[in-house]
Amino acid sequence: MTAIDLYKTKPWACILSYYNNSTFIKMKSLKYLLIASIVLSTVACYAQAKNQKIEIVKIYGSCEKCENTIEKAGNMRNQSNVDWNKETKMATISYDSLKTSKEEILKRIALSGYDSDTYLAPDDIYSSLPSCCHYERAQKTTTQMGKSNIDMATKDDSIQSNKMTEMQEANPLSVVFDAYFSVKDALVKTDGNTASIKANDLLTAISAVKIEALNMDVHMVWMKVVQNLKEETGHIAKTKETIIQRVHLNMLSKNLYEVMKVSKQTTPTYYQFCPMANNGAGSNWLSREETIRNPYYGLQMLECGNTVEIIKE
Amino acid sequence: MKKHLKWLTILQVILSTHFLFGQNVVRYDLTMTDTVVNFSGKEKRAIAVNGQIPMPTLIFTEGDIAEIVVHNKLKESTSLHWHGVFLPNKEDGVPYLTQMPIEPNETFTYRFPIIQSGTHWYHSHSGLQEQIGMYGSLVLLKTKDDPTFRKGIDDLPEVPMILSEWTDIKPENVHRMLHNANDWSAIKKGTVQSYSEAIKAGHFKTKLGNEWKRMLAMDVSDVYYDKFLINGKNESQLSQFKAGDRVRLRISNGGASSYFWLTYAGGKMTVVANDGNDVEPVEVDRLIIGVSETYDVVVTIPSEDIAYEFLATPEDRTKSASIYLGNGKIQLKSRMPKLKYFEGMKMMNDMMNMDGSMDDMGMDMSYQKMDMNTVMYPEITGNPEMKMDSKTDHSSHSMNASQDIVTLNYGMLRAPQPTTLPKDAPVRELRFELTGNMNRYVWSLDNKVLSESDKILIKKGENIRITLYNNSMMRHPMHLHGHDFRVLNGQGEFAPLKNVLDIMPMETDTIEFLANTEGDWFFHCHILYHMMAGMNRVFSYEKQADNPYLPNKKWAYKKLQAESNKLHFMAENDFATNGNDGMAMWQNTRWTFGTEWRLGYHDGHGYETETHVGRYIGKNQWFMPFVGFDWRYRKHNGEIEKNLFEQTNTKDQRAVLSLGANYALPMLIIAQAEIFIDGNVRFQLSREDIPITSRLRWSFMVNTDKEYMTGFKYIVTRNIGLTTHYDSDMGIGLGATLSY
Repeated sequence: MTAIDLYKTKPWACILSYYNNSTFIKMKSLKYLLIASIVLSTVACYAQAKNQKIEIVKIYGSCEKCENTIEKAGNMRNQSNVDWNKETKMATISYDSLKTSKEEILKRIALSGYDSDTYLAPDDIYSSLPSCCHYERAQKTTTQMGKSNIDMATKDDSIQSNKMTEMQEANPLSVVFDAYFSVKDALVKTDGNTASIKANDLLTAISAVKIEALNMDVHMVWMKVVQNLKEETGHIAKTKETIIQRVHLNMLSKNLYEVMKVSKQTTPTYYQFCPMANNGAGSNWLSREETIRNPYYGLQMLECGNTVEIIKE
Repeated sequence: MKKHLKWLTILQVILSTHFLFGQNVVRYDLTMTDTVVNFSGKEKRAIAVNGQIPMPTLIFTEGDIAEIVVHNKLKESTSLHWHGVFLPNKEDGVPYLTQMPIEPNETFTYRFPIIQSGTHWYHSHSGLQEQIGMYGSLVLLKTKDDPTFRKGIDDLPEVPMILSEWTDIKPENVHRMLHNANDWSAIKKGTVQSYSEAIKAGHFKTKLGNEWKRMLAMDVSDVYYDKFLINGKNESQLSQFKAGDRVRLRISNGGASSYFWLTYAGGKMTVVANDGNDVEPVEVDRLIIGVSETYDVVVTIPSEDIAYEFLATPEDRTKSASIYLGNGKIQLKSRMPKLKYFEGMKMMNDMMNMDGSMDDMGMDMSYQKMDMNTVMYPEITGNPEMKMDSKTDHSSHSMNASQDIVTLNYGMLRAPQPTTLPKDAPVRELRFELTGNMNRYVWSLDNKVLSESDKILIKKGENIRITLYNNSMMRHPMHLHGHDFRVLNGQGEFAPLKNVLDIMPMETDTIEFLANTEGDWFFHCHILYHMMAGMNRVFSYEKQADNPYLPNKKWAYKKLQAESNKLHFMAENDFATNGNDGMAMWQNTRWTFGTEWRLGYHDGHGYETETHVGRYIGKNQWFMPFVGFDWRYRKHNGEIEKNLFEQTNTKDQRAVLSLGANYALPMLIIAQAEIFIDGNVRFQLSREDIPITSRLRWSFMVNTDKEYMTGFKYIVTRNIGLTTHYDSDMGIGLGATLSY
């Protein structure tokens, strides 16, 4: 086993040992041993070929001692093999992609004191390296603000907004908004069938919203309206009668407007109003286009209404 | 008419005020379902709420009315407890204490006003569900006009974080294995502390001393976990933060049994709140968060284009979980070095009396100020020697203070406002000793588990002052439901408010609270497996109103008591070339029902069983009297055996009752004396599972019937071992052991 492990860490060792073996062996058994050692070295060198990945990455370091530490930290039996070149600072990393990843290997190396372009070594580990290993590290640009203490008097609270952190980069509500627009568009076309189908999609989208992915303020509004959203959407989904669907679109739009107002929007949304709808009480809807396409009357009064607010971040 | 009008106006005023200042009802719907997760590379069962683990973060603002609707779609009952929240007792979520369990397909609504702010969390209080996903963050925000609103703290961007751990072994099995002193966890963690490892570390005498004092291997935690998680992930990144940003981390420890060290790669951390209560900001390099505690910590992102690692390391330092704050290259935090277990063992030996009680050697320890485990921390003690001079004055300085690394302790927590209790209220003093027995995994208060104790009656309006002394070998996070208590840590009237108190071995801590909310309130160790072992009490208000969710309280309390004193089953059989050797046993806190057998393959070898029903006596449970029944058959050609006392004994056919007792001698040798109804007497010495190496165990037995046995077992997996043994009846054998 140890021989095999050796081969794994240094692929060229296979060839070396092939010669080593053959010089020490009596002629008689030479043939078998030759075969055996070829088989062995093939197995050793190519056993992992299937999921084998090879990447070349930069690892900061200086001397031979570094090479030892870097390779020792990176190598793992049956998983990964690192060969670092102290002249070029480049490391050839070969690994079994099913068992580990480049990140895992670089993390181990960084934890042993050596920076890469993904991970920076902890300062205390770096400073405990032998002095010859103190390679040049990139300067960190420390901002002055970083030093600020908690000071109740000097901090201006108007700058800081109380927001719960977003866990996802994309707006977690965009699916909901898109689904709403589909419902609205169907009603513009007075297509009760499609509206019902799209309302079902919207219902799924509403249920799928991960509340903790929402910003603090969005979260609060969402909690307030989510029951209504579900109810109104449910009514639209249940029927194919556009007359009924349009009644519920009114409340749905009002509630969703609340959410949209507080959630970050990269593209503008238009809050539009038709004074005639809802028996003359007027109704609102949301739209991605500025041009009026009234969902409450369809073709009858396609362009009735006006934009009352442009929602944008 | 006028009269009516007057009333109407008043009514109208009341109504409209209600409308104006009317409380905002915030409703969450939570649906529990069975799910399959893969945290470790293996697919395992877990419980998801609204399809996710951890449970959704719930956010309320002080003054809201919380309405949480639970839909139980599991095949088992469930409950939700609102940890650290002041609420009416019936909303507290402890099955059989404050409500009936929420049965499968049942919907239950928790509804209570939010009358406090701070970082809290919630979890299932049913069985071991908390271990497999039922934990989540619960954030109660201050209103903007709150007089305690702190600019520069309460207006920072915040991240709720819930820490937890995952094991691939079913928690019911974890619990069972703990009670059976199964050391599989230790093997996985590398903490068996076998004799060969002791010799290698130059600690043979330490190990010998340890076993002489009848202790098993020492560890800071009991369970091996496959993964540690922050918000359900082992690693994650929050890339929206930029250089200079200050971020408030609202950290709850939702782990079932793991304490976590918290460290940060971007410099010092400022602790601003604990258990949902503000504290004066204090800067530290690291802190340990006990099971079920919460801490609010402010960190700064120091540089551009670098993400800083926030690292949570379980106390046993086997693994860790990280979250990276910022965007760009990841600045790692150095890992915590492995514990020096034999140093810890040596310390334990010094502090353990021969009778199993602890001796603090004159050091008055309290409030985490002196962490005895420091002897095991390589990062602090380059030098493993720790002075144990009882004459040194330890009260003037803490062991941690002399080091460069600033570690938070309870002594450093100070409330921003006075927290004093009403001075004219009557004071009720209570004292509890935390007791335990690692070998049998019995955890108790005053050596009594819940099933052996009545509810503790208190009166509304009393100040309850509790002194806790930890006379066990492990630390315990003691949690009180429904109240915050003052921790009398030397901060005078600014004593911090908490609802969980971590108490280390040999510490004496005092807490006090005003009994202001009637009901039945649980007080327990929050290490899940300690709680399920019975380390609980109930504080019950005298003359309280009936609980509509729990009509039959007497019956329910019996159920609650029974839940933490269940029988644990274990079985083992060695399939060897010379016969079968095995045992099966049911045990709870005090009782054991067990049978052992030796079954040969032919009549010459014989067949033999011994059944014992016994009760463990005393705090250390070293003494176990029992009644027994022996049966054996062996073809012996009329030969008559004599024991050491010249008593004769036919082995051919024998069925006798007996009375006897086991006693655990130093070195964990079990001495057994037994007298049979036919007048025969037998004495026996035996020891099982002497750890030779990490996986190799040696056992022996010898008795006055001139029987003896010695054998080795190599532990291959959790359930399989390879054995060889020599037995005076059956000769030498090789075999495989299956154990459950």
